[in-house]
Amino acid sequence: METTRSSGGCVLPVVVHDRESETRTPSQPLYRIPREARDPFAAMPPPPLVRAGEADLTRIAPGRPQAEGEAVTIAGRILDEDLRPVRRTLVEVWNANAHGRYSHVIDAGRNDAPLDPNFYGFGRIVTDEEGRYAIRTIKPGAYIARRDIGWWRPPHIHFSVVGSGVRLVTQMYFPGDPLNERDFIFLVVPESDRERVIGRPAGDASLTFDIVIRGRFQTPPDAD
Amino acid sequence: MAEHTPNEHRGRTLITPEATVGPFYPGAFLTHTPTDLWNVAPLVAHHPAGQPIVVELRFFDSLKRPVPSLVAEIWQANAHGRYRHPEDRSGAPLDPQFDGFARLRTDDGGTIRFATIKPGSHPVGPGSALVRAPHLRVTIFASGIDRLATQLFFADEPLNASDPVLASIPDIAVRHRLIAARSGRTSPGTLEYAIDIVLRGDGETPFFDDRG
Repeated sequence: METTRSSGGCVLPVVVHDRESETRTPSQPLYRIPREARDPFAAMPPPPLVRAGEADLTRIAPGRPQAEGEAVTIAGRILDEDLRPVRRTLVEVWNANAHGRYSHVIDAGRNDAPLDPNFYGFGRIVTDEEGRYAIRTIKPGAYIARRDIGWWRPPHIHFSVVGSGVRLVTQMYFPGDPLNERDFIFLVVPESDRERVIGRPAGDASLTFDIVIRGRFQTPPDAD
Repeated sequence: MAEHTPNEHRGRTLITPEATVGPFYPGAFLTHTPTDLWNVAPLVAHHPAGQPIVVELRFFDSLKRPVPSLVAEIWQANAHGRYRHPEDRSGAPLDPQFDGFARLRTDDGGTIRFATIKPGSHPVGPGSALVRAPHLRVTIFASGIDRLATQLFFADEPLNASDPVLASIPDIAVRHRLIAARSGRTSPGTLEYAIDIVLRGDGETPFFDDRG
Protein backbone atom coordinates (compact mmCIF):
# COMPACT_ATOMS: atom_id res chain seq x y z
CA MET A 1 0.00 0.00 0.00
CA GLU A 2 1.56 3.21 -1.14
CA THR A 3 0.61 5.93 1.24
CA THR A 4 1.39 9.59 1.64
CA ARG A 5 1.78 11.04 5.10
CA SER A 6 -0.06 14.15 6.10
CA SER A 7 -0.73 15.82 9.42
CA GLY A 8 -3.51 13.27 9.87
CA GLY A 9 -3.44 9.72 8.63
CA CYS A 10 -2.35 8.42 5.24
CA VAL A 11 -3.91 9.27 1.89
CA LEU A 12 -4.88 6.08 0.08
CA PRO A 13 -3.44 5.75 -3.44
CA VAL A 14 -5.64 5.65 -6.52
CA VAL A 15 -4.97 2.82 -8.97
CA VAL A 16 -4.39 4.52 -12.32
CA HIS A 17 -6.69 3.49 -15.18
CA ASP A 18 -9.06 1.86 -12.66
CA ARG A 19 -12.31 3.84 -12.94
CA GLU A 20 -13.73 2.37 -9.76
CA SER A 21 -10.60 3.30 -7.83
CA GLU A 22 -10.79 6.84 -9.27
CA THR A 23 -14.39 7.36 -8.15
CA ARG A 24 -14.35 5.42 -4.86
CA THR A 25 -11.00 6.04 -3.15
CA PRO A 26 -11.35 8.73 -0.44
CA SER A 27 -9.57 11.93 -1.46
CA GLN A 28 -9.04 13.14 2.10
CA PRO A 29 -6.38 11.82 4.48
CA LEU A 30 -7.69 9.13 6.81
CA TYR A 31 -8.39 10.41 10.32
CA ARG A 32 -6.19 9.18 13.12
CA ILE A 33 -8.02 8.17 16.27
CA PRO A 34 -6.32 9.90 19.23
CA ARG A 35 -4.25 7.51 21.32
CA GLU A 36 -6.38 8.00 24.43
CA ALA A 37 -9.52 7.08 22.48
CA ARG A 38 -8.18 3.83 21.00
CA ASP A 39 -9.42 0.51 22.33
CA PRO A 40 -8.56 -3.08 21.38
CA PHE A 41 -12.11 -4.08 20.45
CA ALA A 42 -11.48 -4.85 16.78
CA ALA A 43 -14.04 -7.13 15.18
CA MET A 44 -13.74 -10.73 16.35
CA PRO A 45 -16.31 -12.83 14.56
CA PRO A 46 -16.19 -16.37 15.94
CA PRO A 47 -14.46 -18.79 13.54
CA PRO A 48 -17.10 -20.70 11.59
CA LEU A 49 -17.27 -24.46 11.45
CA VAL A 50 -15.28 -25.27 8.33
CA ARG A 51 -15.44 -28.73 6.78
CA ALA A 52 -12.19 -30.43 5.77
CA GLY A 53 -12.88 -30.29 2.03
CA GLU A 54 -13.38 -26.54 2.01
CA ALA A 55 -9.64 -25.88 1.70
CA ASP A 56 -9.50 -27.86 -1.57
CA LEU A 57 -10.88 -25.75 -4.41
CA THR A 58 -9.87 -28.27 -7.07
CA ARG A 59 -12.92 -30.48 -6.42
CA ILE A 60 -16.41 -29.18 -5.69
CA ALA A 61 -17.15 -32.34 -3.69
CA PRO A 62 -15.27 -35.51 -2.77
CA GLY A 63 -15.32 -37.98 -5.66
CA ARG A 64 -16.07 -35.33 -8.29
CA PRO A 65 -13.58 -34.80 -11.15
CA GLN A 66 -10.70 -32.43 -10.61
CA ALA A 67 -11.18 -29.00 -12.17
CA GLU A 68 -9.38 -28.14 -15.40
CA GLY A 69 -5.88 -26.71 -15.23
CA GLU A 70 -2.85 -26.94 -13.01
CA ALA A 71 -3.46 -27.77 -9.35
CA VAL A 72 -1.29 -25.79 -6.93
CA THR A 73 -0.89 -25.95 -3.16
CA ILE A 74 -0.41 -22.66 -1.34
CA ALA A 75 0.63 -22.83 2.30
CA GLY A 76 2.02 -20.45 4.86
CA ARG A 77 1.56 -18.74 8.17
CA ILE A 78 -0.56 -15.83 9.30
CA LEU A 79 1.41 -13.56 11.66
CA ASP A 80 0.59 -10.36 13.51
CA GLU A 81 2.76 -7.24 13.54
CA ASP A 82 4.83 -8.70 16.40
CA LEU A 83 5.32 -11.80 14.20
CA ARG A 84 3.27 -13.94 16.54
CA PRO A 85 1.12 -16.64 14.92
CA VAL A 86 -2.52 -15.73 14.39
CA ARG A 87 -4.20 -18.92 15.62
CA ARG A 88 -7.70 -20.15 14.86
CA THR A 89 -8.48 -17.35 12.42
CA LEU A 90 -10.48 -17.62 9.22
CA VAL A 91 -8.59 -17.53 5.90
CA GLU A 92 -10.80 -17.17 2.84
CA VAL A 93 -9.50 -17.44 -0.74
CA TRP A 94 -11.04 -17.01 -4.16
CA ASN A 95 -9.70 -17.06 -7.70
CA ALA A 96 -10.63 -17.33 -11.37
CA ASN A 97 -10.60 -20.67 -13.14
CA ALA A 98 -7.85 -21.87 -15.50
CA HIS A 99 -9.41 -19.80 -18.30
CA GLY A 100 -9.44 -16.59 -16.27
CA ARG A 101 -13.19 -16.70 -15.56
CA TYR A 102 -14.85 -16.28 -12.16
CA SER A 103 -18.00 -18.21 -11.32
CA HIS A 104 -19.63 -14.92 -10.36
CA VAL A 105 -22.64 -13.17 -11.88
CA ILE A 106 -20.65 -9.98 -12.47
CA ASP A 107 -18.19 -11.90 -14.67
CA ALA A 108 -21.00 -13.52 -16.69
CA GLY A 109 -21.71 -10.41 -18.74
CA ARG A 110 -18.17 -9.42 -19.58
CA ASN A 111 -15.99 -12.47 -19.94
CA ASP A 112 -16.19 -14.84 -22.91
CA ALA A 113 -13.86 -17.36 -21.26
CA PRO A 114 -15.66 -20.60 -20.33
CA LEU A 115 -16.84 -21.64 -16.91
CA ASP A 116 -15.57 -24.94 -15.53
CA PRO A 117 -18.45 -26.99 -14.07
CA ASN A 118 -15.98 -28.55 -11.63
CA PHE A 119 -14.67 -25.29 -10.23
CA TYR A 120 -16.43 -22.80 -7.96
CA GLY A 121 -13.27 -20.87 -7.12
CA PHE A 122 -13.64 -20.16 -3.43
CA GLY A 123 -12.58 -21.91 -0.27
CA ARG A 124 -11.66 -21.36 3.35
CA ILE A 125 -9.72 -22.76 6.26
CA VAL A 126 -9.10 -21.91 9.91
CA THR A 127 -5.43 -21.55 10.93
CA ASP A 128 -3.97 -24.04 13.38
CA GLU A 129 -2.20 -23.34 16.67
CA GLU A 130 0.96 -22.18 14.80
CA GLY A 131 -1.00 -19.87 12.52
CA ARG A 132 -0.57 -22.24 9.58
CA TYR A 133 -2.95 -22.73 6.67
CA ALA A 134 -2.78 -24.68 3.41
CA ILE A 135 -5.11 -24.52 0.46
CA ARG A 136 -5.16 -26.35 -2.84
CA THR A 137 -6.54 -24.62 -5.90
CA ILE A 138 -6.24 -24.33 -9.68
CA LYS A 139 -3.71 -21.82 -10.97
CA PRO A 140 -5.98 -19.10 -12.37
CA GLY A 141 -5.69 -17.82 -15.91
CA ALA A 142 -5.04 -14.18 -16.72
CA TYR A 143 -8.02 -12.11 -17.85
CA ILE A 144 -8.51 -8.76 -19.48
CA ALA A 145 -9.59 -5.99 -17.12
CA ARG A 146 -9.87 -3.17 -19.67
CA ARG A 147 -9.93 -4.09 -23.34
CA ASP A 148 -9.63 -0.45 -24.52
CA ILE A 149 -6.18 -0.06 -22.96
CA GLY A 150 -5.15 -3.72 -23.08
CA TRP A 151 -4.90 -4.09 -19.29
CA TRP A 152 -4.60 -7.72 -18.29
CA ARG A 153 -4.86 -8.96 -14.72
CA PRO A 154 -2.09 -11.50 -14.12
CA PRO A 155 -2.96 -14.79 -12.42
CA HIS A 156 -3.69 -13.99 -8.77
CA ILE A 157 -5.36 -15.48 -5.69
CA HIS A 158 -7.47 -13.29 -3.39
CA PHE A 159 -6.79 -13.79 0.32
CA SER A 160 -8.88 -12.54 3.25
CA VAL A 161 -8.04 -12.97 6.93
CA VAL A 162 -10.72 -12.12 9.50
CA GLY A 163 -11.22 -12.74 13.19
CA SER A 164 -8.94 -12.54 16.18
CA GLY A 165 -8.82 -8.75 16.04
CA VAL A 166 -6.92 -8.53 12.75
CA ARG A 167 -8.24 -7.82 9.27
CA LEU A 168 -6.57 -7.96 5.89
CA VAL A 169 -7.52 -8.53 2.27
CA THR A 170 -4.79 -8.92 -0.32
CA GLN A 171 -3.93 -10.61 -3.62
CA MET A 172 -1.14 -13.14 -4.14
CA TYR A 173 0.69 -13.17 -7.47
CA PHE A 174 2.71 -15.95 -9.12
CA PRO A 175 6.50 -15.60 -9.33
CA GLY A 176 8.02 -14.65 -12.66
CA ASP A 177 4.79 -13.86 -14.51
CA PRO A 178 5.56 -11.12 -17.07
CA LEU A 179 2.05 -9.67 -16.63
CA ASN A 180 2.80 -8.78 -12.99
CA GLU A 181 4.94 -5.79 -13.94
CA ARG A 182 2.22 -4.39 -16.23
CA ASP A 183 -0.71 -4.76 -13.82
CA PHE A 184 -1.85 -1.47 -12.28
CA ILE A 185 -3.13 -3.14 -9.10
CA PHE A 186 0.24 -4.86 -8.61
CA LEU A 187 2.13 -1.65 -9.46
CA VAL A 188 0.33 0.39 -6.79
CA VAL A 189 2.22 -1.70 -4.23
CA PRO A 190 5.48 0.11 -3.37
CA GLU A 191 8.39 -1.54 -5.16
CA SER A 192 10.10 -2.52 -1.93
CA ASP A 193 6.95 -4.38 -0.79
CA ARG A 194 6.14 -6.24 -4.00
CA GLU A 195 7.99 -9.39 -3.01
CA ARG A 196 5.54 -9.68 -0.09
CA VAL A 197 2.60 -10.27 -2.44
CA ILE A 198 4.32 -12.90 -4.61
CA GLY A 199 4.20 -16.56 -3.65
CA ARG A 200 7.60 -18.23 -3.15
CA PRO A 201 8.27 -21.49 -5.01
CA ALA A 202 8.27 -24.41 -2.57
CA GLY A 203 8.81 -27.48 -4.67
CA ASP A 204 6.55 -29.18 -7.16
CA ALA A 205 3.30 -27.30 -7.74
CA SER A 206 3.62 -25.60 -4.36
CA LEU A 207 4.00 -22.03 -3.21
CA THR A 208 4.64 -20.53 0.22
CA PHE A 209 2.71 -17.38 1.07
CA ASP A 210 3.07 -15.89 4.56
CA ILE A 211 0.89 -12.96 5.57
CA VAL A 212 1.91 -10.39 8.20
CA ILE A 213 -0.99 -8.25 9.39
CA ARG A 214 -0.87 -4.94 11.17
CA GLY A 215 -2.46 -5.19 14.58
CA ARG A 216 -2.15 -7.47 17.55
CA PHE A 217 -3.65 -10.87 17.54
CA GLN A 218 -6.06 -11.99 20.26
CA THR A 219 -6.65 -15.70 20.73
CA PRO A 220 -10.37 -16.18 20.24
CA PRO A 221 -12.33 -17.79 23.06
CA ASP A 222 -13.01 -21.49 22.68
CA ALA A 223 -16.24 -22.36 20.95
CA ASP A 224 -18.76 -23.80 23.37
CA MET B 1 -3.04 0.64 23.29
CA ALA B 2 0.11 -1.08 24.47
CA GLU B 3 3.40 0.76 24.15
CA HIS B 4 5.63 -0.10 21.21
CA THR B 5 7.56 -3.33 21.65
CA PRO B 6 11.01 -4.06 20.26
CA ASN B 7 9.41 -6.36 17.69
CA GLU B 8 7.05 -3.74 16.40
CA HIS B 9 9.46 -2.04 14.08
CA ARG B 10 10.63 -5.36 12.71
CA GLY B 11 7.06 -6.46 12.13
CA ARG B 12 6.04 -3.25 10.40
CA THR B 13 8.74 -3.63 7.80
CA LEU B 14 7.24 -7.01 6.86
CA ILE B 15 3.56 -6.03 6.75
CA THR B 16 1.78 -7.60 3.79
CA PRO B 17 0.33 -4.86 1.54
CA GLU B 18 -3.45 -4.80 1.28
CA ALA B 19 -5.39 -4.89 -1.99
CA THR B 20 -8.91 -4.52 -3.25
CA VAL B 21 -11.37 -7.42 -3.06
CA GLY B 22 -12.03 -6.75 -6.74
CA PRO B 23 -15.40 -7.22 -8.46
CA PHE B 24 -15.79 -10.96 -7.84
CA TYR B 25 -16.20 -11.37 -4.08
CA PRO B 26 -17.94 -14.72 -3.48
CA GLY B 27 -21.49 -14.41 -2.26
CA ALA B 28 -20.91 -17.61 -0.30
CA PHE B 29 -18.78 -15.62 2.17
CA LEU B 30 -21.63 -13.30 3.18
CA THR B 31 -23.79 -13.66 6.26
CA HIS B 32 -26.57 -15.89 5.00
CA THR B 33 -29.40 -16.09 7.44
CA PRO B 34 -31.68 -13.05 7.61
CA THR B 35 -29.69 -9.84 7.27
CA ASP B 36 -29.38 -8.98 10.90
CA LEU B 37 -26.95 -9.15 13.78
CA TRP B 38 -29.26 -11.10 16.06
CA ASN B 39 -28.23 -14.57 15.01
CA VAL B 40 -26.52 -16.93 17.33
CA ALA B 41 -27.16 -19.84 14.97
CA PRO B 42 -29.41 -20.48 12.02
CA LEU B 43 -32.96 -21.38 12.99
CA VAL B 44 -32.41 -20.57 16.66
CA ALA B 45 -34.80 -18.03 18.12
CA HIS B 46 -32.88 -15.06 19.38
CA HIS B 47 -34.02 -12.24 21.58
CA PRO B 48 -31.12 -9.94 22.41
CA ALA B 49 -31.60 -7.36 25.11
CA GLY B 50 -31.93 -3.75 24.07
CA GLN B 51 -33.71 -1.39 21.73
CA PRO B 52 -34.38 -2.97 18.33
CA ILE B 53 -33.21 -0.77 15.47
CA VAL B 54 -33.05 -0.98 11.71
CA VAL B 55 -30.17 0.76 9.96
CA GLU B 56 -29.99 1.65 6.30
CA LEU B 57 -26.54 2.40 4.86
CA ARG B 58 -26.49 4.01 1.40
CA PHE B 59 -23.13 4.10 -0.38
CA PHE B 60 -22.18 6.59 -3.12
CA ASP B 61 -19.13 7.27 -5.29
CA SER B 62 -17.70 10.65 -6.36
CA LEU B 63 -20.23 10.88 -9.21
CA LYS B 64 -23.12 10.40 -6.75
CA ARG B 65 -23.80 6.95 -8.13
CA PRO B 66 -24.87 4.18 -5.74
CA VAL B 67 -22.15 1.58 -5.15
CA PRO B 68 -23.49 -1.94 -5.70
CA SER B 69 -21.78 -5.16 -4.57
CA LEU B 70 -19.97 -3.37 -1.75
CA VAL B 71 -19.27 -5.56 1.28
CA ALA B 72 -19.61 -4.05 4.75
CA GLU B 73 -18.65 -5.81 7.97
CA ILE B 74 -20.60 -4.50 10.95
CA TRP B 75 -19.27 -4.93 14.49
CA GLN B 76 -20.77 -3.53 17.67
CA ALA B 77 -21.16 -3.81 21.42
CA ASN B 78 -24.30 -5.34 22.89
CA ALA B 79 -26.98 -3.30 24.67
CA HIS B 80 -24.83 -3.27 27.83
CA GLY B 81 -21.85 -1.79 25.97
CA ARG B 82 -19.93 -5.10 26.06
CA TYR B 83 -18.05 -6.51 23.07
CA ARG B 84 -17.74 -10.24 22.55
CA HIS B 85 -13.98 -9.80 22.72
CA PRO B 86 -11.47 -11.25 25.23
CA GLU B 87 -9.95 -7.82 25.89
CA ASP B 88 -13.29 -6.39 27.03
CA ARG B 89 -12.92 -6.59 30.80
CA SER B 90 -15.50 -3.92 31.57
CA GLY B 91 -17.61 -6.27 33.72
CA ALA B 92 -20.70 -5.46 31.65
CA PRO B 93 -22.53 -8.71 30.82
CA LEU B 94 -22.29 -10.65 27.58
CA ASP B 95 -25.62 -11.32 25.92
CA PRO B 96 -25.88 -14.99 24.92
CA GLN B 97 -28.36 -13.93 22.24
CA PHE B 98 -26.01 -11.48 20.57
CA ASP B 99 -22.69 -11.79 18.73
CA GLY B 100 -22.51 -8.34 17.16
CA PHE B 101 -20.98 -9.18 13.77
CA ALA B 102 -22.37 -9.44 10.24
CA ARG B 103 -20.95 -9.28 6.73
CA LEU B 104 -23.44 -7.83 4.29
CA ARG B 105 -23.46 -6.66 0.68
CA THR B 106 -25.12 -3.65 -0.97
CA ASP B 107 -27.93 -4.24 -3.45
CA ASP B 108 -28.04 -2.65 -6.90
CA GLY B 109 -29.19 0.59 -5.27
CA GLY B 110 -26.04 0.73 -3.13
CA THR B 111 -28.03 0.01 0.04
CA ILE B 112 -27.59 -2.31 3.00
CA ARG B 113 -30.49 -2.56 5.42
CA PHE B 114 -30.15 -4.61 8.58
CA ALA B 115 -31.78 -5.17 11.94
CA THR B 116 -29.88 -5.08 15.19
CA ILE B 117 -30.10 -3.59 18.67
CA LYS B 118 -28.78 -0.20 19.57
CA PRO B 119 -25.29 -0.72 21.06
CA GLY B 120 -24.66 0.49 24.58
CA SER B 121 -22.10 3.13 25.47
CA HIS B 122 -18.84 1.99 27.06
CA PRO B 123 -15.63 3.37 28.56
CA VAL B 124 -12.59 3.37 26.27
CA GLY B 125 -10.88 0.97 28.66
CA PRO B 126 -10.35 0.10 32.32
CA GLY B 127 -9.62 3.24 34.29
CA SER B 128 -10.41 5.56 31.38
CA ALA B 129 -12.76 8.45 32.06
CA LEU B 130 -13.53 8.66 28.35
CA VAL B 131 -16.87 7.19 27.30
CA ARG B 132 -17.73 6.09 23.79
CA ALA B 133 -21.17 7.03 22.51
CA PRO B 134 -23.22 4.17 21.04
CA HIS B 135 -21.76 3.41 17.63
CA LEU B 136 -21.33 0.79 14.91
CA ARG B 137 -17.89 -0.10 13.55
CA VAL B 138 -18.01 -0.56 9.81
CA THR B 139 -15.29 -2.03 7.59
CA ILE B 140 -15.86 -1.57 3.87
CA PHE B 141 -14.57 -3.57 0.89
CA ALA B 142 -15.37 -3.02 -2.78
CA SER B 143 -13.91 -3.20 -6.23
CA GLY B 144 -11.54 -0.26 -6.71
CA ILE B 145 -10.82 0.34 -3.03
CA ASP B 146 -8.76 -1.23 -0.31
CA ARG B 147 -10.24 -1.77 3.15
CA LEU B 148 -11.89 1.33 4.65
CA ALA B 149 -12.91 1.67 8.30
CA THR B 150 -15.31 4.08 9.93
CA GLN B 151 -17.67 4.40 12.89
CA LEU B 152 -21.33 5.41 12.72
CA PHE B 153 -23.31 7.15 15.46
CA PHE B 154 -26.99 7.81 16.21
CA ALA B 155 -28.61 11.24 15.98
CA ASP B 156 -30.52 11.12 19.25
CA GLU B 157 -27.63 10.27 21.58
CA PRO B 158 -26.51 12.97 24.06
CA LEU B 159 -23.13 11.20 24.44
CA ASN B 160 -22.24 12.14 20.86
CA ALA B 161 -21.29 15.59 22.19
CA SER B 162 -18.44 14.10 24.26
CA ASP B 163 -17.42 11.09 22.17
CA PRO B 164 -13.62 11.26 21.79
CA VAL B 165 -13.58 9.77 18.28
CA LEU B 166 -16.20 12.17 16.96
CA ALA B 167 -14.44 15.03 18.73
CA SER B 168 -11.17 14.15 16.99
CA ILE B 169 -12.65 15.34 13.68
CA PRO B 170 -12.07 19.09 13.82
CA ASP B 171 -14.67 20.20 11.25
CA ILE B 172 -18.12 19.90 12.82
CA ALA B 173 -19.82 19.55 9.43
CA VAL B 174 -17.55 16.61 8.58
CA ARG B 175 -18.13 15.10 12.03
CA HIS B 176 -21.88 15.09 11.40
CA ARG B 177 -21.41 12.92 8.32
CA LEU B 178 -20.92 10.00 10.76
CA ILE B 179 -24.25 10.49 12.53
CA ALA B 180 -27.19 8.45 11.23
CA ALA B 181 -30.51 10.32 11.23
CA ARG B 182 -33.85 8.87 12.23
CA SER B 183 -35.46 7.92 8.96
CA GLY B 184 -39.05 8.65 8.09
CA ARG B 185 -39.97 5.00 8.34
CA THR B 186 -41.59 3.63 11.43
CA SER B 187 -42.27 0.14 12.66
CA PRO B 188 -43.70 -0.82 16.05
CA GLY B 189 -41.08 -0.94 18.78
CA THR B 190 -38.22 -0.37 16.34
CA LEU B 191 -36.23 2.79 15.67
CA GLU B 192 -35.13 3.28 12.08
CA TYR B 193 -31.95 5.12 11.05
CA ALA B 194 -30.42 5.96 7.69
CA ILE B 195 -27.09 7.39 6.65
CA ASP B 196 -25.34 8.16 3.36
CA ILE B 197 -21.72 7.09 3.10
CA VAL B 198 -19.87 8.99 0.37
CA LEU B 199 -16.63 7.24 -0.51
CA ARG B 200 -15.10 10.19 -2.37
CA GLY B 201 -15.86 13.78 -3.34
CA ASP B 202 -18.43 16.30 -2.09
CA GLY B 203 -19.71 15.29 1.31
CA GLU B 204 -16.98 12.63 1.63
CA THR B 205 -17.40 10.49 4.73
CA PRO B 206 -14.47 10.53 7.16
CA PHE B 207 -12.60 7.22 7.37
CA PHE B 208 -10.16 6.21 10.08
CA ASP B 209 -6.53 5.17 9.82
CA ASP B 210 -5.37 2.01 11.53
CA ARG B 211 -2.50 1.50 9.10
CA GLY B 212 0.07 2.72 11.59
